Amino acid sequence: MTIEKTLSGQHSLGPTAKPRKSSNRSALAKQLGRVAFILGAGLLMAVVLIQAQGYQAIPTILSGLEYAVGSPQSIARTLAWGLPLFVATMGVAIAYRSGMFNIGAEGQIYAGAMAAALVGAYIGPMFTGLHLLLCIAASAAIGALVAAGLGWLRAAWNVDEVLSTLLSNYIIILFCAYLVTAPLRDPSRQSGSTVPVHDTAMFSEILPKTQLTTAVFLVVVLCAVTWWISEKSVIGYKWRMTGESPDFAAAVGINVRRARIGSMALSGALCGIAGALLVTTSQGRFWTEIGTSIGWDAVLLAMIARARPVSAMIWVAVYCVMRSAARGIEQVSTVPSEISLILIAGIIIAASARAGIFAQLAKARNAYTRSRGKN
Amino acid sequence: MDLFDAFLSSGVRLTTPILLAALACLPTQWTKDLNIGLEGAMLFGAFGGVVFGLMFQSVALGIAATVIAGIISGLIFGYVITRLNVNVFVAGIALNIFAAAATVYLLRSFFGVKGTLSDPGIPSLPVYNIPFIKDIPVIGAIVSGHTILTYLSWVLVAVMVFAVRRTVLVRRLKAAGEHPAALAAAGGNVNRMRVWAQVWCFALCALAGAQLSVGQLTLFTEGMTNGLGFVALAAVIFCRGKVKWLAVMSVIFGLASAVAVQVNDAVVAPQFAQMLPYVIAFIGLIVLAKTSKDGGIRIATPTMEA
Repeated sequence: MTIEKTLSGQHSLGPTAKPRKSSNRSALAKQLGRVAFILGAGLLMAVVLIQAQGYQAIPTILSGLEYAVGSPQSIARTLAWGLPLFVATMGVAIAYRSGMFNIGAEGQIYAGAMAAALVGAYIGPMFTGLHLLLCIAASAAIGALVAAGLGWLRAAWNVDEVLSTLLSNYIIILFCAYLVTAPLRDPSRQSGSTVPVHDTAMFSEILPKTQLTTAVFLVVVLCAVTWWISEKSVIGYKWRMTGESPDFAAAVGINVRRARIGSMALSGALCGIAGALLVTTSQGRFWTEIGTSIGWDAVLLAMIARARPVSAMIWVAVYCVMRSAARGIEQVSTVPSEISLILIAGIIIAASARAGIFAQLAKARNAYTRSRGKN
Repeated sequence: MDLFDAFLSSGVRLTTPILLAALACLPTQWTKDLNIGLEGAMLFGAFGGVVFGLMFQSVALGIAATVIAGIISGLIFGYVITRLNVNVFVAGIALNIFAAAATVYLLRSFFGVKGTLSDPGIPSLPVYNIPFIKDIPVIGAIVSGHTILTYLSWVLVAVMVFAVRRTVLVRRLKAAGEHPAALAAAGGNVNRMRVWAQVWCFALCALAGAQLSVGQLTLFTEGMTNGLGFVALAAVIFCRGKVKWLAVMSVIFGLASAVAVQVNDAVVAPQFAQMLPYVIAFIGLIVLAKTSKDGGIRIATPTMEA
C-alpha cells in the first residue's frame, strides 16, 4: 500500500524522509555507498550489453577507455566534445533547483546555435574577441528570452512548464529548420545549413587536431559562476527556497514569480550559450541536426545529479568519458555507440530505485527468516 | 471535393495514433501517475510492430506480440514506480531517452542498419474499404478505408465512456489517485490499481506505435514518433479526465497534422504546417491555464532535495 504517497505529498528522487545523521563521516559513507551502487549497476549493464553482442566485455570496455582517456590528445578530444554539454547541464540544473523543470533545453540550444551562426556569419568580420562576445551574447539573449517567456507563463498564469517546454522544443526546431531550408540557406550546399561564420567568430584551438579550443576557459568560468549563483549567492538561496517550498518562500517574503522567471532566464541563457559553443568551436555553421540530443542528455544528467552543480559537473565528466569510450568501442567492435545513452538512462533508474531495491530486499529477507522461524 | 476528402481521410488516419496514445495515458492520469514516457513507449511499439511483423511474417501476430511486450513492460514500469518508489516523472523522462537510444541500438545490432529499417518483407495492416459507404463523399472518407486499429480506437473510446459511467474499476483507479487511503480502507489495492493503469498505458501505446509503423508507413525510422506522444499528453491534460473531450482534442490534433500532409509547399513552408499540432497544443495549454479555476493541471514533478 502506498498511503505514504499522499502523506508525503511530493515525490522526490531519493530517500529524503529520513533524518540526516549528525556526523559527517556517515553522510560521506552513505554518499560513497550510493556512488558504488550506481557504478556497479552501470558496469553490470555495460557488461551485459557488450556480452550480448558476443564480445569479451572487460577488454572491450578497457579499449574504449583507452580511446577516451588514453593520451593527452584523447582526453582533449573527449573534453572538447563535452564543453557544450557542461554548460547546458548547468543551465538545466539551475532551473531544476528552483523547481522549474526546463525540458526545453534542446530547443533553447537550437535557438542559441542559430543566433550564434547568424551573428557569426552576417556581422563582421571583426576583432575575434568582440565577435565571439557578440555571438555568445546573442545566443544567451535568445535562449534567455525563450526560457524566461515560458517561465513567465508558469509564474503568472500557472501554465505547466514541463509540457510547455516540451512542446517548445518541436516548435523551435521546426522554425530553425524553416530558416535554414528557405530564407537563410547556404545555396552552395545541398543540405539545410546556413552560410559559414567568419573565422573571427571561431574559438582558436589549444591542442592541434583535437578540437579543444579556448572555449574551455569560458566553460570553466560559466560553471564556476553558475555554482556560485546557485549555492552561495542570496538570489540562489531564494531560488532554492522557491524550489523546495514555494508557499514557504512566499511567506518569508521571497518574490516567487521573480525567482521562477529569473532562474528560467539564466537556464535558457546557459542552454543558448551551449548552442553557440556548438557553432563557434567546431561546426562553424548552423545545420538542421547540429545539437541532436545534447539537450536531452543535459536533462538526464541534471536529473541524476539532483540539480547539484558540483555533482552535475562530475556526472557530465563521467558521461563524456562514457560517450567517448562508446565511440572507441564502436571502432573496435560492432557494439553501437548508443550504448552510452542506454547506460545513462539505466543508471538514472537504478539510482532512483536504489532505496526501493534495498527495502524490497530487506522485506524479502524478513519474510524468508520469518517463514524459517515458523517451521 | 477530392482534396477535402483526402484531407478528412488523412485526418482520421493521423488521429489514430494520437487517440490511442491519449486513451493509453488517461488511466495513468486518474491514478496520478501521469506517464510522460508515452513517447518512448510508442517508439518501442512502432519498433515492435516492424520487428515482430518481420519475425512472424504476419501482421496480426506481430501486433499481438507487440501488445504482449507492452503488457510486460507495463508490469515492469508499474513495479518500478510503485514498489521501488521511483518518481514517475523521472522514470518517464528516462524511458523516452532510453527508447530513442535502445531502438537505434537494436536496429544496428539485429539488422545492421542505421536510422531506417525498410524491407519488402515487413507486413502492413490491411485497409478496409467498406462497400457503398466508400462512395459517399464526406462520410466515405471518414468511415471507410482505414486500418483495423483506427476502428478499434473508436471502439475503445466507446468502451472507456461506458467504463467511466458504469464500472467499479474506473472508480477504483480514480480513487487510487485522488484518495488512496480511502481506497485502501475500502479493501482495494492501491498499488495494483497503479500498476494496471501502467499496463493499460503500455499496451495501448504499443498499438499506437504499431499503427505508425505497420499501419501507415510500413517501415521503422529513428525517432519516428517525433513528439506525437507529447501532443497526446497535451490532449490528456486538456481533457481533465473526460473521455469525450479526449476524443475531441485528439481529432483536432489529427486534423492539424493532416494539414501538414495535404498543404501545398508553395502555399506555406512545410515546417509551419508541421508545427501546427504543437502550436495548437501550446496555445490550448495557455487557454486552459487561464480559464480554469485551479490554474490548470500540473505534471507531478519531483523536488530536487536529497
